[in-house]
Amino acid sequence: MRWFVACLLILVSTAATADTFRFTAIPDEDQSRLEERFDKVADYLEDQLGVAVEYVPVKSYSAAVSAFRNDQVQLAWFGGLTGVQARRLVPGSRAIAQGKEDAEFRTYFIANHDSDVDTQGDDLPKNVQGKSFTFGAKTSTSGRLMPEYYIREQFGAPPKSLFSRVGFSGDHTRTIALVESGTYDIGAVNFKVWDAAVADGRVDTDKVDVIWKTPTYPDYQWTVRGDVDNRYGDGFTDKVRQALLDMHDPELLESFPRQGFIPADNDDYQPIEDVGEKLGLLR
Amino acid sequence: MSAERAPGLLAGDSLNLRLARRSLGLIALCLVLLPFADLAITTHDPWAELERMLSGLLHPDILATQSLPHAIALTIGFALWGTLLGVVLGFPLALLFPRSRLLRGSCAFVRAIHELFWALLLLQVFGLSAVTAIAALTIPYAGIFAKVYAEILELTPRAPVDALPEGVGRLSRFVYAELPMVWARLSSYTRYRFECAMRSSVLLGFVGLPTLGFHLESAFREGRYPEAGALLWVFYLMIASLHLWGHRRLLPWIALGSLFLLGPWPDIDGALLWRFVSVDLWPKPLLEGNWSGLWQWFGEIPDLLPAIGNTLLLGLMGTAGSLVVALLLWPMASHHFGNRPTRMAGKGVLILMRSTPELMLAFIFLLMLGPSMLPAWLALSLHNGALIAFLVARHADAIVPGSHALPASSRYTYELLPRLYGGLLALLFYRAETIIRETALLGMLGIATLGFHIDSSFAYLMFDQAFFLLLITAGLNIAVDALARRYRPREIADTPGERGHPGREATC
Repeated sequence: MRWFVACLLILVSTAATADTFRFTAIPDEDQSRLEERFDKVADYLEDQLGVAVEYVPVKSYSAAVSAFRNDQVQLAWFGGLTGVQARRLVPGSRAIAQGKEDAEFRTYFIANHDSDVDTQGDDLPKNVQGKSFTFGAKTSTSGRLMPEYYIREQFGAPPKSLFSRVGFSGDHTRTIALVESGTYDIGAVNFKVWDAAVADGRVDTDKVDVIWKTPTYPDYQWTVRGDVDNRYGDGFTDKVRQALLDMHDPELLESFPRQGFIPADNDDYQPIEDVGEKLGLLR
Repeated sequence: MSAERAPGLLAGDSLNLRLARRSLGLIALCLVLLPFADLAITTHDPWAELERMLSGLLHPDILATQSLPHAIALTIGFALWGTLLGVVLGFPLALLFPRSRLLRGSCAFVRAIHELFWALLLLQVFGLSAVTAIAALTIPYAGIFAKVYAEILELTPRAPVDALPEGVGRLSRFVYAELPMVWARLSSYTRYRFECAMRSSVLLGFVGLPTLGFHLESAFREGRYPEAGALLWVFYLMIASLHLWGHRRLLPWIALGSLFLLGPWPDIDGALLWRFVSVDLWPKPLLEGNWSGLWQWFGEIPDLLPAIGNTLLLGLMGTAGSLVVALLLWPMASHHFGNRPTRMAGKGVLILMRSTPELMLAFIFLLMLGPSMLPAWLALSLHNGALIAFLVARHADAIVPGSHALPASSRYTYELLPRLYGGLLALLFYRAETIIRETALLGMLGIATLGFHIDSSFAYLMFDQAFFLLLITAGLNIAVDALARRYRPREIADTPGERGHPGREATC
């Protein structure tokens, strides 16, 4: 019993830990790739900011938003739509930086060769109708929101009535794998993830290839909570932004994969907010 | 039995005939509705995938997972604290249980929502923290403990109480004369629940809490089968070795030690919590008293009726499938059939299948077969069928056969099955509640049951819609439970056993 109490006291005393700055990222790719990517980023930020920095892995897009809302992370690498969701839930939070490519992001529609869909034209090929189709995660911007928007715009019908089967793969890596294996005929995928997978030889382009590229739209961004200046010192938000903009190490950037980061603010994502409301994914 | 008039096929009023009619009715209903189910195999080569999975299971790579000990410790910590707090809450409720209809209703409600759905709900206010994980187990478990403890207490023998002199206080009477009589049953059920909690704790990883399931899901989804295989073996070992480390003296220390690992504890934002409970969970038109707006809100819920239909259909298919699987598999583990090695192997297979949660099985089949109801059906049937088969085999072993000369098939058909069938069916009907609970949950994997839409609503941050769908799920569950209780064979005397009640071991 004495030992029990002693241990309990130790526990209470260790509970008050230092204020670590935590960040997360939407799990848009394989978990193993994400952890490799963001542990390095955590080290980099720790050097630049002078506080302990930790990456918190999450399983779903909504868990990333929920962790941000509950202040379990103060910074997050969100997609366009998840960023809007998070900033609506946490008043005062701001988009501070985006990848150079994120101002003009795209979705690629990819198809399995056996599905006999015509290859690249100016529009999504007409004969995608009746095929099976998979999105990425339910609240992915490049894997759900924008592809659904363009599908509706072109065909004037929701995906459900257009395709024989509509699925949600969960992330972009999985979308590529499912279309490559023929589980789905067609998929919508983040163009950066696709390009990186092709460059690394992780995808067999004899089996699956791009059939249409969407027009551009704004996507991923770093969003920070509004109360970090109070907690980590005045000007902390600017320090974080500067640290991100100064990230030039190709090894760090390659893992995103982005060429570098540029400033961004909340207004840049108004188009995403509008589309989200139109499709009923935001209200 | 009515022998006066010649009965037609399945006509007559004997117990076994009634049971046969009920079972055949169940299977016939399932077959009639089967064409409405989406049972497509969409992957091109499921066998190659299966081969890769099996090879991973046979060549596990234990070192592939980072921070595996931490994940194991958290899995145990969540399970232990979830169960412990469930007991702390559930026991006092059990004492009030027979007296309050409101309490019974509330307990039925919290039980009817799956641990993972609780986790999704709590995730919104407590984030990815130990509070979410532990509360997700504690809340439904408190409801379960309240009910089961109350049932056990109800069976307390009266003799010791009657023997007490007049004027003994209520508390003394309870502590000295009633509690000791049922203590063994209470603690054995609690132990069983802890095992359930271990499985649920692993599953919490599927929604992102850092337990074993977190890594298991990633490894399977990304096709890293040697790692996935290793994690599965770790999981089975944890369950199988429970009696070694789950000792009464050791558990307090494990509970205490795990506290060090469960942090960081979240700062609970009272305003946020209040807003969530009082505003976010309710339809806006309802809070404003706008009835026509509420009707419109209702209309915006996508595919509600198909989702309910699919949930019920899959639940029915799962129940019928479990019946068939249980009938086929129980002889594998019974000493009336085969020899020692085959029985060992049979028992092993049954234990593996019943230890693997449906969600995990369905997830694995989904990767193999592609997204339709088929993987979910297989998972529900195999898991629940194996669980029932295991218990039936144990009941069978208590039977002394009249004649050893009968061949195995006749022994099965004419001697053992007629004596076991009532118990088997009773177990199946107890299990129906769990099956429908799991069915709703399986939607989270992308199968079009209620869970699919609950998951979507949480993803779109439409908590009011998610909560409404959870209420529907709970209602459905309570209705199915009532229906199952109505048709459960009552004439079967409870098989005496350590836990005293056959159904109780089929509740998770």
